[in-house]
Amino acid sequence: MELILATAECDPSVDIICAPSNVNELFEFREAIWTIGGFPITRTVFLILMIAVIGSLFLWLGLRKKSVIPSKFQAMTESLVSFVKDGIATDIIGPEGAKYTPWLLSVFMFVLIGNLYEVTPAVNFPVTSRMALPAMLAAVTWVVFLIAGIKRQGFGYFSGIVWPKSVPIALRPLVGLIEFFSTLIIRPLTLAVRLFANMVAGHLMLTLLLVSGWVFISHVGDIGFRAGIGIAWFVMGLGIFVFEIVVIMLQAYIFTLLSAVYVQSSLYPEH
Amino acid sequence: MELDALAGAVKLVGYGLAAIGPGIGIGIVAGSAIEAMARQPEAAGVARTTMFLGIAFTEALALIGFVLFFIA
Repeated sequence: MELILATAECDPSVDIICAPSNVNELFEFREAIWTIGGFPITRTVFLILMIAVIGSLFLWLGLRKKSVIPSKFQAMTESLVSFVKDGIATDIIGPEGAKYTPWLLSVFMFVLIGNLYEVTPAVNFPVTSRMALPAMLAAVTWVVFLIAGIKRQGFGYFSGIVWPKSVPIALRPLVGLIEFFSTLIIRPLTLAVRLFANMVAGHLMLTLLLVSGWVFISHVGDIGFRAGIGIAWFVMGLGIFVFEIVVIMLQAYIFTLLSAVYVQSSLYPEH
Repeated sequence: MELDALAGAVKLVGYGLAAIGPGIGIGIVAGSAIEAMARQPEAAGVARTTMFLGIAFTEALALIGFVLFFIA
């Protein structure tokens, strides 16, 4: 919306680029649609709640009738669950990974559906491009791998980080410092920023290309045959659309994979 | 030249610089993974998972540059 307003404001005879004055709209909260018990429900909150509904319905409908010869939908759901269970949980964490499958499956479904909003017509907004969501998911992962480490190794988990026994004693303070920062600060930070930045970048690219294509084509009366540039933008935007579907799947996979890797590293510190 | 416009240009150049290293790094990771898969196709699954992990770690640097573009 801001972009379209910016094109209306600028004077084509003076300005070379019609850029919005800022991109703060990406980080601002919108007006609430309605309020339930003091909690304002914005569009983002509504979409987040819809993730829970869609994800639960998908799994419930897929696994409602567990027949030996599965229907196509059941086969799809089962392959999704076994992808997380076998491909991520037990493959990365080991035999104990089955215990973490419900959490990993929830994270995977949540991130996947939240990302898929980006390419859903009439929604076109990945809720994971609001920093609060990836930050919260990363915080949950942080808590889970810390608890896993403390349960397995007790207090030795922390002393193993800041005073690693496998390193020569002269290097231990340095390696311990690096390990401390990378485990407790860099890990959750990059986990959140990776998802957030990928989704914001994809959303911006799609918006820029498709909106500028639309603006060019809709101004065909003013600028004549030069409106044909808009077709090129539009085609490029559709190409990015396909690319974004791949990125969406990959980011959901990577988020779940890294969560599993972090849990594995606190369960088996020697690896 | 307005100072605001200059600041925006510097941010853009900064993001471009931040993208060079990870670009090369992801190329090396993917290239080595393809080599490993071609040499040992039976270990392709392990190589693919490790490749995604390597790409994810490398890519984070470029994305931090992208976020700094907005907040700097």
